[in-house]
Amino acid sequence: MSGIAAATRVVYESTVTAVGGQVEAFLDHGLLIFFGEESPAELHDMSVRHRPTVREEGPRPGDVIVLGTQELEVLAVGEVVADNLLNLGHLDLKADGGTEARLPGDVCVAVQPLPLLHAGDVFRIVRGGVAAGPAAGTAGVAS
Amino acid sequence: MSDYKSVRVTRGRGGWGGPLTITPTPDKPLIYSVTGGGIHPVAARIAELTGGEAFDGFKSSAPFDKIAVAVIDCGGTARVGVYPMKKVLTVDIHATSPAGPLANFITEELFVSGVKPDDVEEV
Repeated sequence: MSGIAAATRVVYESTVTAVGGQVEAFLDHGLLIFFGEESPAELHDMSVRHRPTVREEGPRPGDVIVLGTQELEVLAVGEVVADNLLNLGHLDLKADGGTEARLPGDVCVAVQPLPLLHAGDVFRIVRGGVAAGPAAGTAGVAS
Repeated sequence: MSDYKSVRVTRGRGGWGGPLTITPTPDKPLIYSVTGGGIHPVAARIAELTGGEAFDGFKSSAPFDKIAVAVIDCGGTARVGVYPMKKVLTVDIHATSPAGPLANFITEELFVSGVKPDDVEEV
């Protein structure tokens, strides 16, 4: 790889441990919900559970969320997202193309199919350009 | 019978739904806090005023039919729907309105949001 911005940093990284039975149905709504492993049982069916290894900060617009092999540029982040993620491992990812979070828990990315994750997949938040070139602007789609 | 009392929870600033009247019973004693950082002050106040049992949903789980009320700090999508879907009274700290795939389960009879400790009153 070349042309990567100097200050690339992983601010959150986690490994998927379980994927609930309703997760795939939620993908049809452009929605992917994460919770930490210690979340209550009633939330397991609708969420991807995971065990973080890096837990420094929540996402910001311009960060890239990497889900398995897919990269998603963050467009907007609601005001309670960082607390939810750092305290509960909770994230509501919405592929709605929103540039403002309509709900305080929303993390918005471009309209696109979200991946169905599996146990063992890695989920990370990268700051400083994974897909984006040093000139900033739009993220590259091809790699 | 029991010494449980009722409280009335009204929507806070910018909130939606309610008001809810919450009365724990011996069969349904739990004031279930599904929030970061232990028992939320709103859950603690409901428990104190009603005599219900404050319970941290992130420490261990409880059956839905034991829950008098679920107190959540949901930003809008997941927890906001799952408890109303199970007909559990739900109090959201954040001022959310029904949204997401579960929105049609969220009714004014089951859900109130934007709630602060001062919005919980003895009946």
